[in-house]
Amino acid sequence: MGEKQDVWQGTLALMILKTLETLGPLHGYGIARRIEQTSGDRLCLNYGTIYPALLRLEQEGSIAFDWGVSDNNRRAKFYKLTRSGRRQIALETREWEKTTAILARFLTPDGARS
Amino acid sequence: MRSLRALVARALGLFGRAGQERDLAEELESHVQMHVDDAVRAGMSPEAARREALTRLGGFDATRELVRDRRRVPLLESALRDLRFAIRSLRKSPGFTAVTVATLALGIGANTAIFTIVHAVMLAPLPFHDPDRVVVVWETNVQRPGRSNVIGPANFLRWRGRATAFQSMSAFYDFRTSLTGSGEPEELVAQAVTPDFFATLGVTPLLGRVFAPDEGPDGRDSVAILSHALWQRRFGGDRTIVGRSIVLNRRPFTVIGVMPAGVGLFLKTGSLVGKPPELWEPFAFLPEQAQPQGRYMSAIARLRPDVSLEKAQAQMTAIASSLTAEWPQFDTGWGIRLVPIHDELAGEMRPVLLVLFGAVGFVLLIACANVASLLLARGTTRVREIAIRTALGASRARVLSQLMTENLLLALCGGACGILLARWGVALLLALSPASLTGLGRVHLSGPVLGFTALVSILTAGLCGLAPALAGSRPEVQESLKEGTRQGTSGVRARRLRKAFVVSEVALAVVLLVGAGLMLKSLRTLRRVDPGFQRRGILTARVNLPSARYKEDPEVMRFFEQAVERIGALPGVRAAGAVSFLPFAGLAAATDLVIQGEPVPPHGQEPVTEVRVCDNGYFRVMGIPLRRGRMFTDLEQRRSGDVVIVSDAFARRYFAGTEALGRRISVAMADTNPFMEIVGIVADIKDADLSTEARPMTYYPVPQLVYNAMTLTVRTDGDALALAPMLQRAIRSIDKDQPLSDVRTMDQWVAASIAKERFSSGLLVLFAGLALLLAAIGIYGVMSYAVGQRAAEFGIRAALGADAGDIRALILGDGARIAVLGLAIGTPLALLLSQALTKFLYQTRGADPLTFAAVVVVLAGVALLASYLPARRAARMAPLEALRHF
Repeated sequence: MGEKQDVWQGTLALMILKTLETLGPLHGYGIARRIEQTSGDRLCLNYGTIYPALLRLEQEGSIAFDWGVSDNNRRAKFYKLTRSGRRQIALETREWEKTTAILARFLTPDGARS
Repeated sequence: MRSLRALVARALGLFGRAGQERDLAEELESHVQMHVDDAVRAGMSPEAARREALTRLGGFDATRELVRDRRRVPLLESALRDLRFAIRSLRKSPGFTAVTVATLALGIGANTAIFTIVHAVMLAPLPFHDPDRVVVVWETNVQRPGRSNVIGPANFLRWRGRATAFQSMSAFYDFRTSLTGSGEPEELVAQAVTPDFFATLGVTPLLGRVFAPDEGPDGRDSVAILSHALWQRRFGGDRTIVGRSIVLNRRPFTVIGVMPAGVGLFLKTGSLVGKPPELWEPFAFLPEQAQPQGRYMSAIARLRPDVSLEKAQAQMTAIASSLTAEWPQFDTGWGIRLVPIHDELAGEMRPVLLVLFGAVGFVLLIACANVASLLLARGTTRVREIAIRTALGASRARVLSQLMTENLLLALCGGACGILLARWGVALLLALSPASLTGLGRVHLSGPVLGFTALVSILTAGLCGLAPALAGSRPEVQESLKEGTRQGTSGVRARRLRKAFVVSEVALAVVLLVGAGLMLKSLRTLRRVDPGFQRRGILTARVNLPSARYKEDPEVMRFFEQAVERIGALPGVRAAGAVSFLPFAGLAAATDLVIQGEPVPPHGQEPVTEVRVCDNGYFRVMGIPLRRGRMFTDLEQRRSGDVVIVSDAFARRYFAGTEALGRRISVAMADTNPFMEIVGIVADIKDADLSTEARPMTYYPVPQLVYNAMTLTVRTDGDALALAPMLQRAIRSIDKDQPLSDVRTMDQWVAASIAKERFSSGLLVLFAGLALLLAAIGIYGVMSYAVGQRAAEFGIRAALGADAGDIRALILGDGARIAVLGLAIGTPLALLLSQALTKFLYQTRGADPLTFAAVVVVLAGVALLASYLPARRAARMAPLEALRHF
């Protein structure tokens, strides 16, 4: 499996939003598992940290929730994207791409020279 | 925007917490279950699966805490929690809470009360437009440095003509007048002002108008403006008063305006009357007033916006020296002084108030030390509680904030009760205070005062709470958990700290006691001063005959002769007389004199004498004995005979070693002053107040200088005040419209003259008493606490053979050590600070050994008494019971 990485500060929210965009309404456990799987098990996620992050997104209005029943018949909170959440994804994606592009210029030898 | 929205959501998260907690618990539970289900499906045992699920989650409680922190605003949340906890914990110890709040309420209440007065007298803005630019203009004389003198009209006219530093300059003087026609005749104080007076002062009338520039000369002077108080009192606040006619001094006047409440100007230094004026009349200068002659007016001026006080003063000083050159006869040795009006009005009470403010600050410090010591004691009993909280993960900051919240709550409760106390306190202060304090009016609890109280409360919380809170939250309190119930190192430290607090209380109390002792001694000395006249059994009443009715001197003389005769015939009256200016009743006449046959000294160094006009009856009433020579003859009392009687001080000062009787003097009281023969010498009397040395005095017989206003004096064997109605009737029988004013006993006049001293020393004694009480409580508290703490030690000592006396001596020794330390620190401090009191003291040194000795004795006694009760308890403790505490 190789060495696992901790989740960087600030990226967890975008991962949650992106997961909800891809999979639709999902509960906390599902979101956490999905993030791990998507990273190819290269991320080590403390599942507990997902809940404050979800609360924060909810307080900011990016996501909303409904109570529903999980596959194995458990009552669970299902989180879903709001319209403002979708806009947030677009915004943060652009920010992220900008940041990585800038970093790339430092890290790629060619970019640094040109 | 997003973070704002989140903040609102979080603040709202404070509500409905129970539901949120349930939801979160359910959500986390299903999370774990789903995880376990997945793991079991992958072939794990249920137990191992659950363990793994919890590990990956990072623990139930930790996650819940994370979410909680995110849900609400943590600071606000914990503050509210601290507050709730503080209320609960204070309610659990009502005794402690009551004592603490009461102590703080006393300290804060006393401070609020004094500050209320300080604020009203010294800080509150005057009810004038732009009051910072109004100055009072005084003359000064090189022979009386530092004293303000009333001004001469001729000088004023020159100043006004030459000075460019002012927008306007106005002159005024107070006089007595009578209001007749509607209701009882009444004597009032009026102020004659130049027409621009109100513009200079910066006030506009509530009703009507102010004087027009051409009002004032004869024929254009029958207009009056009423003060708010007079309007309310005599005219019931009737708004149609403007334009109506009233009778003043038997002449009709038209009311043209009413001033707003609290507006007026009363300068005690310049007033010949001694009471605030209640109405205004205009005056214009007479042509002869342009010639230098006499000083009896006051003046105010409004600085131009671009001119500073210093510049204006420099200009006036220059004008004064040019006037000296022009009128050397009149102006040699005279200068001009500008005083900002605020300083002038607050001037008299300011030093006293500052001392009282300082003293009351000390009381608060002592109260703080006491509360701090109580808090420390409480802290040591709470060591276990705090240790447990710390062990459960509360950080020192959390514990500290919890303790400080409790302290703040205590201080705020103390402050709230203090405000209630202050309301009564202020009423009491005003009832006790001399008239010059209430003259300013408008003394009440206002916004700034409440702000001051809030600030003091918060500072108090910090001052008395910080040290105990720091001591209580010390991390090594965990040690105490291991030590069981016995005191560890922190207990010893707290005990030392408490002793330090009590020692400083004692030291502060020493300072206050010394201050109060000095003031009391000074007051007692002052009261024992012999004024030179009898003060008991004398009734006095002022009669001011209106010149409109009593035009000629013989009419005036006849009135007073008749009055003295009729009053003298009243039953119970031993003697009656009349005098132009009564001692202790305010400003009086004084002027230069020339002694026949002696060289005339240079200008500004002439001999000076007080001048009184009186009859022989006055000397009899007052009990002023004749030293040598004779009294006035009947003829001299009826017709002028160019004779005078002088006082001992006069003879001593101006005829030292030579015979004064038979010498002739000319006193500058009128335009022409004939030489008059000294026919008698009477004993000295104190005239201005008790502390001023008797000054040279010249007594004229009545016909020599007729005054329209005289004070009648009556001596009786019985109760002097009971004579008042008969006196009134006697005067009415001569002239039914003639009012009497200032009907008071001589005793009352003398008492009023030391009202300020009584006020300040009374308050200082009160504060010192409070300080002593608080210090005694402090000593008692720390000693009885120590007794409880050291019970085991006493048990061992008793078991080893110490008897009750030994143990009592041990505790008393401890108390004595505190007292001695406090005295050792407090005495030099008191010696230092009592220097600030010296200017309030009469024939009493700041370092008065008797006062210091008395303070030492009192404090030592109180300290011993306060430690005696705990000592007795310790001595009575049965050894076995004491050892059980071990």
